[in-house]
Amino acid sequence: MNDILTATGLNKAFDNLQVVKDVSLTIQKGEFVCLVGKSGSGKTTLLSVLSGLEQPTSGEVTINGTSITNSLENDLALFRRKSIGFVFQSFNLIPTLSAWENVALPLFPVKMDREKRKERAMELLGQMEIDHRAEHRPSALSGGEKQRVAIARALVNYPEIIFADEPTGNLDSETSEAIMNILKHLHKQKGLSILMVSHDQELAASCDRIIHMKDGEVIS
Amino acid sequence: MNIQYLFKELYHRRRRTLTAIFSLAVGLAILITINALSMAYNKASRIPLKEIGADITVQRAGNVPEDLTGPVFACSAVTIKNDEIKQIQQLPGIDGFAQALLLWVFDEDRFTIMLGIDGENPVGPGTLRSEVIDGNFFEKGKHQALAEISYARTYNIQTGDQITIAKKTYMISGIVDASRATKIAAANIYLDIDDAQKLARESKQIQAVSPFGTKDANILFIKANSSHIEALTLSIKNILGEKASVATPASFLKSLGSLFALSDKFSLATSLIALIVTILIVLKTMAGNLAERANEIGVLKAVGWSNKNIASQLAGESIIQCLMGGILGLILSFIAASLLGLIQVNIPIPWEMSPTPHFLPGGGDPVFKTLQLPVTISWSLTAFSILLSVVVGAVASYLLSNHISQIKPSEVLRNE
Ligand SMILES: Nc1ncnc2c1ncn2[C@@H]1O[C@H](COP(=O)(O)OP(=O)(O)OP(=O)(O)O)[C@@H](O)[C@H]1O
Ligand SMILES: [Mg+2]
Repeated sequence: MNDILTATGLNKAFDNLQVVKDVSLTIQKGEFVCLVGKSGSGKTTLLSVLSGLEQPTSGEVTINGTSITNSLENDLALFRRKSIGFVFQSFNLIPTLSAWENVALPLFPVKMDREKRKERAMELLGQMEIDHRAEHRPSALSGGEKQRVAIARALVNYPEIIFADEPTGNLDSETSEAIMNILKHLHKQKGLSILMVSHDQELAASCDRIIHMKDGEVIS
Repeated sequence: MNIQYLFKELYHRRRRTLTAIFSLAVGLAILITINALSMAYNKASRIPLKEIGADITVQRAGNVPEDLTGPVFACSAVTIKNDEIKQIQQLPGIDGFAQALLLWVFDEDRFTIMLGIDGENPVGPGTLRSEVIDGNFFEKGKHQALAEISYARTYNIQTGDQITIAKKTYMISGIVDASRATKIAAANIYLDIDDAQKLARESKQIQAVSPFGTKDANILFIKANSSHIEALTLSIKNILGEKASVATPASFLKSLGSLFALSDKFSLATSLIALIVTILIVLKTMAGNLAERANEIGVLKAVGWSNKNIASQLAGESIIQCLMGGILGLILSFIAASLLGLIQVNIPIPWEMSPTPHFLPGGGDPVFKTLQLPVTISWSLTAFSILLSVVVGAVASYLLSNHISQIKPSEVLRNE
């Protein structure tokens, strides 16, 4: 089986508002998939259900052969820690921690030497070419630098798939391109599976495959 | 719990950390200080009796002497019969017992207060043995006596002199400085109780007002564990009747009249209020902290922290803050205690306990034991407050851990 992610018959409703409607999709290992659609079409909601941040109202999600629906909250957290990386539009770095500590954040609950953690974080900051800012806190970093730190954090646990919700949404076009290049590079060189939500048709054009959403449904 | 993260959080959010630490410290300092103050007044109230080596003194009030010549009893200390003394001595809870006999002696040329004491007894005025500043303590059966220093000065008495009081002659074996030691049952001349009893028995004035037998006395000194004092007081009053006057630390505490001295309830109520306000402040600070950091907590969840991981991280933060608050609170309390320790308290000694005739110069003037308020913060109070602060931190974080599990990780996707 070459699927990294399979979703079947997913529905998500908030009270009476049906936000995701009967979505079924698969993402293959090493695939870079873009999810596009108008604002309010349910992209973020679908992403949070696919990644196990939220439980669907009905339907099932399987990541790398493991069903994540109906799991206990703590099991889901452990699963995310082991298998999933997140990149957010608003970076979501911890303001009191330095860049390298932010990268190592998912490893804090793991029994591990501080030195080992730092080594791993520094290695990733090196790959993102911002290891010289390792000791700075997020407030001292530019938007692009913050997002590189966030990508490094998403990679720290050797994830099987990365979920990115408009990772370039808060960045100017030049920086956006640089971040896109990093993601493309990770996909090409390391064979990473990525599901990215984007508004930008142009950025989406460089993905392997585009999934269109409208009013909670996948239309193509 | 990650220590590095913990301290960075506390350090980089200094204002919040300091607010939490200070509010806890102030609350705790109020709590500790009130308790220390209340204990200090309690301790102070024990001092007048402790100085005379007792916890309870017993007297009986009687009639005013009809004719002021020769040996008489002050109206506040008349005969306590030997059989009554024996009954009292056998009461449970008594650790030490002494009797004494206080006499006023009106001679032609002078007035003398004499106290007949049991010099061998470590309880009661026998403690004066250590206050002899010249010569020796009197020897039993040799008609010796000790002169109090100011009396000795007034009448130019020196060690080795013979003095005659109530037609009996005594050799002054030494000079004693009683003023430094005690304000209770203060006398001019201290002599063996047998000699004093003889004087009393032979005095017509005394026999007329308050019949006196060979082995009777008029002041009792009792040592007892503080837990027995209340019960003993009741029993003694039962034995001696309504004229009994029993002095205890509690009666001195009452006469101190301070708010803290007056009622344990006041200290308890204030302590409780301080404690509750402190806990509320800590809870509010932490709840605010949690609300402010909802997104951060969502991020931790998204990257795979379990509720338990997060709860223990935040509990660590709050316990450390509370511990520091506790330590600062103790420091503030020690400062407050050393300032309060400068307060002088005057403990009034009831006239009855050290009677002097009103018509003499200075007679009937109020007598005070003046001392620095003994404010100390005990080890147990210290340990209690540190423990309390840690418990407050732990309980507060336990109460709030439910909020942590209610924060949804998916919210972090919607925080633009
Ligand atoms: N927790 C929630 N409770 C109620 N309604 C919600 C909740 N989350 C999302 N919605 C609603 O679901 C719909 C889809 O929201 P969603 O954020 O998934 O859209 P989106 O495609 O990501 O939009 P955008 O491109 O603006 O980010 C919206 O109408 C939104 O108001
Ligand atoms: Mg969205």
